[in-house]
Amino acid sequence: MMDIVRDVLDTSVVDRNGREMGRVDGIVIEQDDGPPRITTLLIGPAALGSRLHPALGRFVTRVEKLLGIDRDRPSRISVRDVEEVDRKIRVRLTVGETTVGAWEQLLRRWIAKLPGSQ
Amino acid sequence: MTASFRLDSIVGREVYAANSRRIGRLHEVRAERRGSTWVITEYVIGAAGLMERLGLGVRLVLGFERPTGYVARWDQLDFSNPRRLILTCAVADLRRE
Amino acid sequence: MKKIFNLALGIVTSIGGFVEVGSISTSVQAGAEFGFSLLWAVAAATLFLAALAEMAGRVAAVSKRSMAAAVRERFGFHFQIVPLGAEFIIDTLLLTAELGGAAIAIKMLTGVGFQWWVLPAGFMAWLLLWFGNFSVIEDGVGLLGIVTLSFVLAAWRLHPDAGDIARGFLPSLPHHDITRYAFLAVSIVGATVSPYLLNFYASGAIEEKWTEQDLWINRVTAFLGMGFGSTVAMGCLITAAMVFGPQHLKVDTYEQAAQMFVPVYGRWAVTLFALSLGVGCFGAAVEIALNAGYVLGQALGWTWGIDRKRRDVSRFVAAFSFMLLDGIVIATMGFDPLRVTLISVALTVVIMPLVVLPFLVLMNEEQYVGRHTSGVFGNGLLATLTVLGALMAIVVIPLEIWGS
Repeated sequence: MMDIVRDVLDTSVVDRNGREMGRVDGIVIEQDDGPPRITTLLIGPAALGSRLHPALGRFVTRVEKLLGIDRDRPSRISVRDVEEVDRKIRVRLTVGETTVGAWEQLLRRWIAKLPGSQ
Repeated sequence: MTASFRLDSIVGREVYAANSRRIGRLHEVRAERRGSTWVITEYVIGAAGLMERLGLGVRLVLGFERPTGYVARWDQLDFSNPRRLILTCAVADLRRE
Repeated sequence: MKKIFNLALGIVTSIGGFVEVGSISTSVQAGAEFGFSLLWAVAAATLFLAALAEMAGRVAAVSKRSMAAAVRERFGFHFQIVPLGAEFIIDTLLLTAELGGAAIAIKMLTGVGFQWWVLPAGFMAWLLLWFGNFSVIEDGVGLLGIVTLSFVLAAWRLHPDAGDIARGFLPSLPHHDITRYAFLAVSIVGATVSPYLLNFYASGAIEEKWTEQDLWINRVTAFLGMGFGSTVAMGCLITAAMVFGPQHLKVDTYEQAAQMFVPVYGRWAVTLFALSLGVGCFGAAVEIALNAGYVLGQALGWTWGIDRKRRDVSRFVAAFSFMLLDGIVIATMGFDPLRVTLISVALTVVIMPLVVLPFLVLMNEEQYVGRHTSGVFGNGLLATLTVLGALMAIVVIPLEIWGS
């Protein structure tokens, strides 16, 4: 039995190698007949923004589109891929197999150019 | 027809009984792992919102047990309108916790 | 033993950034206008800060989470956005004041107008953050901070009466201008218990990889370190009291304040005061900017850390860089750092209850402090601090209007 708000929402997510992927910024539920199911964890500023206000989420998405990093965003992690929910959520993917860290990669292109970025 | 919602858009919202009486806020969702999905089993509705979220620490300091809230089974809450969560049963049918 | 050395270093380096524009401004004015009678406020504020810092350090050592991370996880983003937003506004104002203070210090040394120095000072701070690592920044800023001991030395050299000083540590009502007295007392608390210090301290604990074994180090560093820092603020207050007190002078500018060193340091007065002000403000500016990176990275789940390769923590770098840039731009506009300081100090007091409240919960949860939960005493203390914080928050705005 999981307490979703307490133990899943806002918790850190790490990939199967222990690398930080971000925090659970949003959670998607689906329902046909029968009990609603949690299907997907969302990671990313667009998901986080829409928690404050849907317009904010849309604004972030537009900015990501302008910057060319809006493909498959916010990052969606299927709960099928969640291995463990503990102090952190461990997922059986690797960071590279997801779209988390799109902003990190974008900024890295500029920051890596500066001397001393190593 | 699969309806899809953001769980975080209903958390923290007010829950109303059928007669529009305010019951409390939805502040926890419990789920069970069944195979490769997580199935929602119950909703925890708090009597006093913020105080509940602050939880144990405040109660410890203030030194008394506040009457907490209700637990609704998955079929006892209708969230088709995320802005207005409504019970599908009578308040008396909810479990107290 | 290496740990003892590091502990001693940690205590000494707590000086850097502790005494900065806020504490200098409030200490000088408190001493000039009310003699020694606000020493109790400095002591109480320091204890308040040390207690909260120790708690933040405890959470960091046991659960490897800073305050920003712990609040996000335990209370959720919706709750966090309020104190987070408020802290950012305050930190930006404070950073502006620190950069302004550093610029004024350089102006006092060079004679060239202070707005010109904001950019160089800010850029130097950025270079330190870009090229440095945790030890270099902490120890460097801390060791430079030793120059602020000139306040302590000055106070000692002026031979204040020990009995009078002791009486200053007992809270008492003044003979004149109670509103102003209360305003300064509350401002001293706001200047000392800066919210950024708590997350910064916790982040430092994580950077230094403290574990449950290091909780005693955490306690000693928090109390002795802050205590050591506060002796400088007290030295500043005592010196101002001895030099300006007899005339009940109202000190309005830093140039005026520098005059308090004349009886002890003669022609070195302005230089020493400027160096103390400049180093203190520069250190605080570095810490505030760095903390912006820490808070955002920890709350939003980015990779972060000042010991990591900069390209691996690009968002973190962008965060502290933009924070500095922001401060530089606003400070260059030329606002009086003294005024900006008093505003940010007042706002700090206003959000104080929101800052203390999470501690009340976290200190009782095994998930965050393991078996080192707050006992009855700790909870009682926190509850008292929350109530005191709320009281101060209510009176600070009226006091600001009538007392300043």
